[in-house]
Amino acid sequence: MLTLHQVRSAEVRRSVGLWDSIRQTTLWKSIYRNEYPDTPRNRVLVIMNSVVLHLHPVRVPRDQVRVTYTWGLGGLSLWMFLILTVTGVWLMFYYVPAVPQAYYSIKDIQENVIFGQFARNLHRWAAHAMVITVFLHMVRVFYTGSYKQPREFNWALGVVLLTVTWLLSFTGYLLPWDQLAYWAITVGAAMAKATPPPALGEIASRALLAGFEVSGPTLVRWYTLHVIFLPLAAIALMATHFWRVRKDGGISTPIPYDEPEADEASSADGGAD
Amino acid sequence: MSNPANHPGNKPTLNPTPAKPGAERKSDLVFVWPHLVTIEAIAALVTLVMLSLVATFVNAPLLGIANPEVTPNPAKAPWYFLGLQELLLHMHPSLAGVIVPTVVLLLLAAIPYYDRDKRGTGIWFSTKKGLPIAIFSAVYTAIWEIGLILFDEYFYQKCVTFDTAAGTCAETSTAFTFGFNRYEGAAHGIGPWLKISLGAPAWVAEILVPSLIMLFIPAWLWRIVHKRYQADKRELMIAMFSFFLASFIVLTIIGTAFRGHSMALVWPWQLTHPVE
Repeated sequence: MLTLHQVRSAEVRRSVGLWDSIRQTTLWKSIYRNEYPDTPRNRVLVIMNSVVLHLHPVRVPRDQVRVTYTWGLGGLSLWMFLILTVTGVWLMFYYVPAVPQAYYSIKDIQENVIFGQFARNLHRWAAHAMVITVFLHMVRVFYTGSYKQPREFNWALGVVLLTVTWLLSFTGYLLPWDQLAYWAITVGAAMAKATPPPALGEIASRALLAGFEVSGPTLVRWYTLHVIFLPLAAIALMATHFWRVRKDGGISTPIPYDEPEADEASSADGGAD
Repeated sequence: MSNPANHPGNKPTLNPTPAKPGAERKSDLVFVWPHLVTIEAIAALVTLVMLSLVATFVNAPLLGIANPEVTPNPAKAPWYFLGLQELLLHMHPSLAGVIVPTVVLLLLAAIPYYDRDKRGTGIWFSTKKGLPIAIFSAVYTAIWEIGLILFDEYFYQKCVTFDTAAGTCAETSTAFTFGFNRYEGAAHGIGPWLKISLGAPAWVAEILVPSLIMLFIPAWLWRIVHKRYQADKRELMIAMFSFFLASFIVLTIIGTAFRGHSMALVWPWQLTHPVE
């Protein structure tokens, strides 16, 4: 029995429009291996055939897509990270990590680079937004009890990711080399120096500052941490974090109190699909 | 695949496995495309548009070039560290800047290794008592911390001779009093009082006493929630996390919006830009 839907699909296939003929080309078919996902089969394939979409399961419990359950905060944190990567690369084209050229290159970006001020603004506000979304994501995961087993380790990874987010933001704070940056980092480095015992604090401070005070070498060190080391660390941790979400059975679904506690280990395998 | 019952969207397409007791209850399944990807696309577009609007109309700050000779007053860390900087005003820097944040992060990571019961997963606040406990814990924490900050600020050493020309205190007494007119240069707070008036060693005033106060507040909260709400482990964790969350918010707001010149308490509208 044909559904109306299938009849329509068939009609669409028969019609010859520009869009349709593009979708019949070898090039298009080599990129998109399945047809538009409006049938169950293609809705499975679209997830499985796409490198981006295959982070998802093919199907999820309806509870999990309720916006008021997750507020999309984990996804938004990733989205902020992507915006920061794009705007960050744009800024790197022009930024000079040296004293005092750093400051003047920021001025240049603002005044002489097309969309420079916009890119810098977007980078700044998205960075603040990411600190907030990552923190709120933790608050959401806690208050919905989603840290509970079998997700203990992923919760701990999340705490590390929160720390990395703070460090990413903090290392970026120094780069404009203005008074705000310089003194904020002086305050921060003084805190690191207070690490007990004093000998260790001295080492921590020396390593952070690449010297005895905030100066040119500090800027190079923090720049390197900001654009290479910490983003790579964040990517590796995020990859593990997302992979574990799937391996731990997908994002959490309700386990009410009115049922006796299960003793057996979770056999959930959200990664299967 | 052409079975109409499999038509996407509204009906479950996979029969949930029979519910085991205590197992995650599988509600009906929906296809990620379109049910999740549309939400993700909308969320991404809305946040991108909002951020772009902010980036169009509000410029990122850029002050004068860094100058080691000109110290701004106050010198502040980025806003998310101002809670720690607020702690720094009340205790030893090792405690405020290193030990407290390290311990807090370790305890956060340890939560699921203490609370082992799977029940309550996936439910906002888990139980009927969850939200009341969270609210009670946050209010309790805020009252304690705002009270202690005010006390540390306005419990001050008397000024015997005030140098009007210099605008500072030339000679202080050893007595502490309470009031809203502390002078520049006069010591204030519990720590200096312990050291100056009681002759306590620095480690007692700056490490031991602040640590005991910081341990007492959550410990008493634990006891109250345990007794008054008959809380289980999950509910105790809700109390402790709410203590952390309220502390973070209260300290960050005070550090950001209520600390002015010389890190004295001021109203937000009295804040001046410390550097040009």
